[in-house]
Amino acid sequence: MKAITANRLTDGRVIYRTPDGDWSPHLAEAARLDGDNASTALALAEGEFAVAVGPYLIDLDEDGPAGQKWRRESIRLVGPSAGTTHVLGAL
Amino acid sequence: MLTSQLDPAHRTDLDAQIASGGGETLTVPGDTDWRELKDAARSAVRIDIHFDSFKDGRGFTLASQLRGRLGYAGRLRATGHVIPDQAAHLKRVGFDEVDPDRKDLATDWAKAHQRFIDGYQADHAGTSAILGRRSRENADIAALNARYRAMDAQDIIADALTRIWPGRIAMMSSFGAEAAVGLHMIAQVAPDTPVLFLDTGRLFAQTEQYQRELADTLGLTRIEIIHPSAREVADEDADGKLWSRNADACCDLRKVRPLDRAVAGYDALFTGRKRFHGGDRLQLPVVERVNGSIRVNPLASWSAEAIQTYFQRYDLPRHPLTEMGYASIGCWTCTAPAQDDDIRSGRWAGQSKTECGIHRPYPVAAE
Amino acid sequence: MYRYDEYDHALVRERIEEFRDQVARRMDGRLTEDEFKPLRLMNGVYLQLHAYMLRVAIPYGALRAEQMRVLARIAQRYDRGYGHFTTRQNIQYNWPALVDIPEILVHLAEVEMHAIQTSGNCIRNVTADPFAGAAADELEDSRPWAEIIRQWSTFHPEFTFLPRKFKIAVNGAAEDRAAIRFHDIGLQIVENADGERGFEVWVGGGQGRTPRLARKIRDFLEPQDLLSYLTAILRVYNQHGRRDNLYKARIKILVDSLGIDAFREEVDEEWGYVRDGDLRLPQAEIARIRAFFTTPRPRSVSPAPQTGPAAFRSWLDTNRRDHQVEGLSSVVISLKPVGGTPGDATSEQMSIVAELTERYGFDEVRVTPEQNLVLPHVENGDLFAIWETLREHGLATANAGLATDIVTCPGLDYCNLANARSIPVAQAISATLSAEGLAEIAGQVSIKISGCINACGHHHIAHIGVLGVDKRGEEFYQITLGGAMGTDAAIGEIVGKGLAGEDVPAAIARILRRFLELRQTGEAFIDTLRRLGSDAFKEAIYADLAA
Repeated sequence: MKAITANRLTDGRVIYRTPDGDWSPHLAEAARLDGDNASTALALAEGEFAVAVGPYLIDLDEDGPAGQKWRRESIRLVGPSAGTTHVLGAL
Repeated sequence: MLTSQLDPAHRTDLDAQIASGGGETLTVPGDTDWRELKDAARSAVRIDIHFDSFKDGRGFTLASQLRGRLGYAGRLRATGHVIPDQAAHLKRVGFDEVDPDRKDLATDWAKAHQRFIDGYQADHAGTSAILGRRSRENADIAALNARYRAMDAQDIIADALTRIWPGRIAMMSSFGAEAAVGLHMIAQVAPDTPVLFLDTGRLFAQTEQYQRELADTLGLTRIEIIHPSAREVADEDADGKLWSRNADACCDLRKVRPLDRAVAGYDALFTGRKRFHGGDRLQLPVVERVNGSIRVNPLASWSAEAIQTYFQRYDLPRHPLTEMGYASIGCWTCTAPAQDDDIRSGRWAGQSKTECGIHRPYPVAAE
Repeated sequence: MYRYDEYDHALVRERIEEFRDQVARRMDGRLTEDEFKPLRLMNGVYLQLHAYMLRVAIPYGALRAEQMRVLARIAQRYDRGYGHFTTRQNIQYNWPALVDIPEILVHLAEVEMHAIQTSGNCIRNVTADPFAGAAADELEDSRPWAEIIRQWSTFHPEFTFLPRKFKIAVNGAAEDRAAIRFHDIGLQIVENADGERGFEVWVGGGQGRTPRLARKIRDFLEPQDLLSYLTAILRVYNQHGRRDNLYKARIKILVDSLGIDAFREEVDEEWGYVRDGDLRLPQAEIARIRAFFTTPRPRSVSPAPQTGPAAFRSWLDTNRRDHQVEGLSSVVISLKPVGGTPGDATSEQMSIVAELTERYGFDEVRVTPEQNLVLPHVENGDLFAIWETLREHGLATANAGLATDIVTCPGLDYCNLANARSIPVAQAISATLSAEGLAEIAGQVSIKISGCINACGHHHIAHIGVLGVDKRGEEFYQITLGGAMGTDAAIGEIVGKGLAGEDVPAAIARILRRFLELRQTGEAFIDTLRRLGSDAFKEAIYADLAA
């Protein structure tokens, strides 16, 4: 299962592509894609460079980010795992 | 085909030659070795350097070598993938024209041409280098300071007024505690010297009155009273209390910007600043550059005693507030009697601010 | 400290307007991201995992109190209340919005600061000895030269689109605290047999994926030739540096492929042409720039304190440095509290440092390549008051140069390029060593951690280096030993296979305990390591892991 993520142009925040072609900071609202429609959806997303920077596909399972890049995508989702100053998550 | 002129003073003789079909033009890729162009540099009237990618900076070195090492004097054009943000770079390494792939950005190119006219580095024509310009200007100032080291304040003022900047120098005066000294000296040489007086809208009534009396006594005929912009005051200090919230912003509104506007017509300004005032003034030279114009501080080396002696010798009227312990007098909102020997300690007392800002290169105001 | 004249101000103002315009053009599509990216990088704007990152330039690591205050306010107003001081003496903000950055630049410009050329394929921040103008072992202050090079390299029309980034460092002391042998160009101020001052020039050093020690290209360069010689080197690099492969584009690769002698010939040929032109530095300009950089004199002279609370004395032992002027000292303000994020400071901490700088520090504070701060000039009589204030704000950790003074890159918590996290590893190492009391006993040990092979944590030049790698979605950490900056510079060697993150702190502790067993009297860690070789420690690293 895949989803599309990018960074918001205005402030760099992590966003996910929703089923209706919008962008949301909440992974729960991301469109779940499979192999066939994933690349089409990605091409469409790349056209929105005035809103989203550098969209790409990520792997998901029922619980959230999965696959080799699960840690990186988890950190993108909830924020840095470390720091002396408490950092609010992306949610 | 879009061709932007990078250098408005382009060579019309080349234009004519190219138009008549004479002379060779050639196109070379940006990664060409400059040594291969020795012959072309002699015979070509126009060379086009093509950029495959705007990120490939070899074209800049190629241009630089063509102009410098090979002495190429013909037209140099940048083509291919170049972007408006490279306009200044292209011009400074010796390109005359640009014909970019993208034809729809004429406005952006036009805007870019207006930026970065000066640069730290010399351009291919050997001009507009900040380094070179500073060196020349600094040499001039160093020479003046050397000359003035041996002269007294009255002679410095006479020299500056009549020999160096006749008709192009004004006196900046606050009509404060010590102002009468410098003003008296100027009046001896040229009582019609413009005296710029900043009326901040926050002056002590005693200062305003003193200004009129002193000008009258000394016979100064050209007092220019400078006000802050009414529109700016309405925008930035509508309640009149800006001084209590942000002294820097208030000085900027009521002193720095009005003075900037007023000095535009002069090459140099006299000030009454002195080293014994301390703080930023400890190392004050007699002649210095500030914000692109010259400041002359003829009383830089004077002591407090010397000031008092001068007042007595010429029986000059004193600012009424000096009797009340005010050693340095600015706006009533931010001036208190001096606390101790530090003559300026009554200015913005309790804040770390010690200068209003008109004597230093000023910062960019936030928009 | 250098102060801008109207030319410097004008250039910074124009740059802000240019960037504001570039942001507008990106927002409305006149610039693609591919075109915008190099432009924003040249204004220090990265796009990271969560947000943009803004890297503000701190030329040769030097700040005035007023500037530190503005940095604090920017953290407060536009970011999340903190900033990170970097291994190249800059500061980074991790959360600014792109649309706010032009305003941030305006605030910076008000105090003569900017974010120009802190990234991109151009000449970066020129770094120098953080103790310049203060160090007891200094031959000459490196800052005037760093400032001259800064101006020459800013908006250079020919060298703004280089094959890759370009880093220059200057050192003027006997000890090389600027790591000049690990820079693209390193300059060492020297004195020749006739007592004249000049530069020893090193070229082609670097870390990253292919660490290299620099090679000496010239024994003695006269001061007036500085800019013409640098121009010649840059021109050769701009023409011949590789542009086909991102990982082979630095000047170190070009020097490798030509060999230092052939490279020198190319440079000298170009130099012969430019040497006597308008790049020649007039003595008057050198003197003018020098005049901005002074060393203060104390108002009262007293010796460094010998008495006081134990914590104060221990802080003096580790964090105080001798000064070239009697009655003064330099102090390291540690940004490495045990268990903290190395190099981070809160807005409040920055404000406190600004106050100390103004009140006790002769208005000078520095950033070090070890991600700490330094007050280069303080009166010995004020040391106790300074320490007390630092202590109240978590800035008095007595660990300068010790094993808990860890350098780390932001790692996978922040950085797009990272393979593994680095900050949590640093925190765990610091906590473990501190709990076991090892840091104080082990003395000077440099530990540096990088979260990927780009080596921004400078692990190659650490006594104990840690490199995070990703193996099938798991974080592993390779240990290197024996790296060093300085005149006996060396690149650390990998000692064996990678460890799991949770095993790293104990392994480091074992290395230090082994050191304590093996050392001879007065030997520092690096000396023991050199004497015995890394094999003597390998076993200690991997002990307990077989089980």
